[in-house]
Order: sequence, then structure tokens, then C-alpha cells
Amino acid sequence: MLEVVELTKRYGPVVALDGATFTARPGRIVGFLGPNGAGKTTTMRCIFGLVRPDHGDVRWQGNSVDREARLRFGYMPEQRGLYPRMRVAEQVSYFAQQHGLSGAAADAATKRWLERMGLADRAKSKLEELSHGNQQRIQLAVALAHDPELLVLDEPFSGLDPLGIATMTEVVRERAAAGVGVVFSSHQLDLVEDVCEDVVIIARGRIVAAGAIDELKARSGRRHLEVEVVGSNGGWLDGDGSLSVLERDGDRVKLLVGDDVDLDGLLARARAAGELRTFAYQPPRLSELFMEAVNPTEVAR
Amino acid sequence: MSRARSIWLVARREILERGRSRGFILSVLFTTALVVGSFVVPTLLFGGEQVAKIGIVEPSPPGLDAALTATADRFDLKGEIVPLADIAAGDAALTSKGVDAVVHVPADLSSAGSIRFAKETDQTTVQVLSAAIVSLRVQHVVAESGVDPGAFIAAQQIPTVDSLDPQTDLDTTRFLFANISAVLILVGVFSFGFTVLTGVVEEKQSRVVEVVLSTVRARDLLMGKVLGIGVLGIVQMVVFVVAALGAAVATDRFELPATTPVALVTLMIWFVLGYALYSTALGFLGALASRMEEASNASTPVTMIAMASYFVAIFGVIDDPSGIVAQVATYVPMSAPFVVPLRAAFDAISPIEIGISVVITVAAIWFLFGIGARVYAGAVLQTAGRMKIRDAWRSAVR
Repeated sequence: MLEVVELTKRYGPVVALDGATFTARPGRIVGFLGPNGAGKTTTMRCIFGLVRPDHGDVRWQGNSVDREARLRFGYMPEQRGLYPRMRVAEQVSYFAQQHGLSGAAADAATKRWLERMGLADRAKSKLEELSHGNQQRIQLAVALAHDPELLVLDEPFSGLDPLGIATMTEVVRERAAAGVGVVFSSHQLDLVEDVCEDVVIIARGRIVAAGAIDELKARSGRRHLEVEVVGSNGGWLDGDGSLSVLERDGDRVKLLVGDDVDLDGLLARARAAGELRTFAYQPPRLSELFMEAVNPTEVAR
Repeated sequence: MSRARSIWLVARREILERGRSRGFILSVLFTTALVVGSFVVPTLLFGGEQVAKIGIVEPSPPGLDAALTATADRFDLKGEIVPLADIAAGDAALTSKGVDAVVHVPADLSSAGSIRFAKETDQTTVQVLSAAIVSLRVQHVVAESGVDPGAFIAAQQIPTVDSLDPQTDLDTTRFLFANISAVLILVGVFSFGFTVLTGVVEEKQSRVVEVVLSTVRARDLLMGKVLGIGVLGIVQMVVFVVAALGAAVATDRFELPATTPVALVTLMIWFVLGYALYSTALGFLGALASRMEEASNASTPVTMIAMASYFVAIFGVIDDPSGIVAQVATYVPMSAPFVVPLRAAFDAISPIEIGISVVITVAAIWFLFGIGARVYAGAVLQTAGRMKIRDAWRSAVR
């Protein structure tokens, strides 16, 4: 298990991290979310010892992370980068060896991952000869070839086409199923909702929400209610100032309600207005939870 | 995984990637061709002893051949005599370059005759031929007047010439060797030191450094880089020296001094020390920059120091290899790599002095590497703009 404990980091007057604390368990996919400049990349760099926190600690299996532990991590930094003129297979193998694999084991893993990424025929090409998307695949192969126990991916989906996103998602799920802990940051919240079980939301260097997505949704007071009454044109709502209408589209209305809403009363009113086709009471989207967590005052307004 | 293996992997990557690059292979081939060429071409152009072909128009005075050969001998020149039927035949031979000059002296020595060239007159040839003709005519006159010709010839003997401390070929070779050593070290420090510098900046620019540093310690990365590129430098140096020695021996242009092997070993040691010192400095200065232009600015002080050390060596030390400048420069780490091999080439430094100098330089490298590695670690992830050494030092992950 990875534990990020009370990480604090200042750059001059700028507070990058302000006591950030969260955990990532084996076999779970954690979406690490936050607005730009919230401290995601700094946190990841702290995990890899690239940035020294002013306070706090990063622990792996209960101990402070050292170089030996980091060799079992896989990292895909936000600022992608590999050696442009180095051959693809040699490059993947080089990084696998730097993670402690023998030459033969690294070469075998390289072969396996290049095949998995559909790039076996480019093994001898120089990296710079590959398309941007394929370079991203190699970057992922570099993060994976040494079979890490923890995978930290900073914006892994940025710049990928739908096909690339599918491959990336598939690989991440497969690794998690094999017991690997995965932490990845992304701004594509729908994708995160789709892929992750857990989320950690960071804002201004603090963790503002963390936990299983389902639990967070359940805990949130916000609910969506979608009602469609044939021929009503939404008229049954008129005059009720207590309801917050998100969207009106002909007979269909979307309401934002609290979890204490009188569902039976609303159902009765809708039925009275005409033929009820839809009555859906749903938890909020992750994007709403995100907005709420990151900027509570804004959302409340 | 051990740090040694990590450093070795970095070094091996540098050796393989750069050693296989067209740039490196071409530069090795080019320098080799240049070295071999600089020995072989002069031999082809000016090789062998020059033999002047002198045409003599018959009938010629008896003894002219012998007089010409004898005079040429005195000037260490070789001449070949070609008899010619008449003046027209002489002109034809000049035109066809069959002879270099044509001498026409009446058989009875009644006049000094003439010396004719095809185009340019060669003063040495003129002097040799004139001396021979004058001497022959004077002997003729003296013989007629009844003076003993033997005594007269003896009186014409020129004084012997020598010097107290003669300039030997060995001195020339030493001088040449010393100069070449200084140049080689300068070129080695610059070309391979700057390869380290550009390597560091390239890693920053391509952002690969973040991936590398997630597993490799910054100081191990710097050390591996310096080692790997250093191995290529040594390879190039060995190729250069072997080519130069091979060409020198093959063309027989130099007499190699008995101290050659020692001087070569000294050269190699100081090449390695000089490279290690300067490339470490260039490596961590490179890390402060995020673009190539900034890197060359950051490296300016190092460039200046290296150039200054080189000039101290070739101007201050070659003239007086045991002087005070030479002695002081021996113990200054920056200049020692240039000065010590030079003094060794002149046999003007004791093994103890060399030993002390090596220890001082190694200590300086160790010290610089300690500082450099930390600055490197603090700066290498900073990708925007140029960083100050002090900031890099502070932000380093220890």
C-alpha cells in the first residue's frame, strides 16, 4: 500500500502542497484529480523522490520510500520524454534494466510489451521516427516493462486518440486486476468515473475529498431527478420556486434535489400532470462532486 | 540493484548510443586520416633526398664533373651529371625537364661560361655550380704558374662548424611531442567535455531526465555520463596516438625518444584527469541551463579557464619547463592537465612532482564532483530558464 502522509512543499511564497494525505491500495485504481496547479505533479514527484517535501513522508508497505522501493514503481510523468534518437526496443530494455531486471529478462519483457502495444515491428526504429501516439505507447511500455507493483501515471490520456485511450484503459485495468496499485491523474472526469474505483481530489495543495467514488456519491447530498411527463411541456413544475431546475427540454426536465427530497410527493405531482414516461432519481456525476469539492462556495451559490 | 550497475548502465548507454553515431565514427576516421596524412603527404611530396640533375655541354673542361660532385658534397647535396652534345641539346633538355640546369664552360676554361635554368633560377644550385667552376678555373691558373696544386687545394679547405650544445633531432621531436600533447588535451577536454554538456541539456530538453531520475540517482547519472563519454574519448585518443606513432615509424620521419612510452602513459593519465575535471564542471553547469544557448553561456567561465591554462602551458612552460610558472601551474588543478605532460615531454619534472600534482587534481575532481552532483540534482528537473547555482544547491534532493 502506498501512503502519502502530510506532504508539504513550498516554492518561495507559493504553497504547492499543504499537508496532502491519501493512500493507494493494491489492485485499486485511484483517480488523482485536481485543477491545474493544485499539486498533482508535485505529489507524484515526491513519490519518486524527484522533489524533496518540506514536511511529510511517502510510505510503501509501511516504510519510507527509498530507492529500492522506487525500483518497483512505474512512472509516466506529465512531461513525456524519452531519448529521441535511441532505438525503441533498446530504450524500453534500458529502463527495465535500470529498474533491476537482468539484460535477458529486460529484453524478454520489452518484446512482450512491444507486441502488446502493437509495435513489435518498430522495435529497431528510433523513437523520434514514431508518431506521437506511438511514442506515448512506448512511454507506457517503459513504465510497465519491469512489472511494477505501483503504477503512477500523470495525465496518461492526454494527447491520445480514442484507440490509444482504449489501449491505455485496458492495460491499466488489467494491471489493477493483477494486484498492482494504480494512481493516475486526469482532467477527463468521465473517463476517470469509468475507469477508477477510488478518487482523490486535491485543491490548493490539500486533499479535499478522497474515497470510493460510489461512497462519495452516496455521501453527497446532491441528487439528480429526471422526469418526463408526456404532453406536459414541464408545466407541472411552474410556480414551485423550491426546486432547482438544471435543464428543461420539452416534456423532459432535470432537477437538482437534495437527498432529503420528498420523492413520493414529486412522483404524485408528475403523475397528476399526465402520462409519466421517465422518473429517474440518480446520484451526481463525478464532475459535480469534483466542482463541489474543489470550489464549494461557487457550487453552493 | 547496486549503484555500480546503475552507473554502468548509464555509461554503457552513452558508449553504445554515441559510439555508434555517425558523428563519432566520422570524427575518429577524420582525425586518423588527418594524422596519417600529415605524416605521409610530406613524405610523398618532399620524400627522399633531392637530386639535382645538371647538364654539362660537351666538350667540357677536364675535371669539371669531379669539381661539381666535390662541391655539392660539401653542401650536403647530391647531383647527377648529364652530358649534352651542344647548347641546343641543353635547351631541349631544360624544356623537357630532363635536367634542372645546364652548365656551359669552354673546355680551355678561357671564360667562366654560363649556367642556364628553364624558368626560375635556384640560388643554391647557382652557388654550388659557381663555386665549382671558379675553383676549377683558379686551380688551372695556379697550376700554370707553378704553385703546388695540392697545397693550394688544402688552402681552400673550409673551417669546421659545430655547436657547443647541438640541436638534435630528439629536441625537435620533444618540442613537437609537447605541443601535440597540449593540443590533444585541449581538444579532448573541449570535444568530450562539451559532449557531456550537450548530453545533459538534451536530456533536459527531451524531458527524459524525469523518467531517468525516477530510478537513477542524479549523481550516478552524472557519473555514468562522464564515464561513458570518457571511454569514447580514450578510444579516440588511443586511435589518434596509434595512428600517429604508426605513421611516424612507417615514414621514418622521427627518431622516437626512449622516453616515448612514459610520455604516452603520462599523456593518457592527464587526458583522463583533465577530461574528468572539466567535463564534471561542464556537466553540472549544463544542468543549470534549459536550452543549448544558455548552456554555452553557462559554460563560458570553464572555457576561459581551459584556454588560459592551455596558453600558460604553450607560452609559459614550453620556453622554460622548469621555471616558476611551470612549477606553480603543476599544482593548480585546472592547469596541471596541460602543463604536466608538457614538462614530462621535456623531461623537466620529477616523479614526485607528478605524484603530488595527480593527488591534488584527483582531490579537486572529487570535490568538484561532490558539489557538481548536488547542483546537478537540484537543477536538472528545472526546465524553464536558467537556474542559479545557489538555488540548485538548495533545492537538491539529498
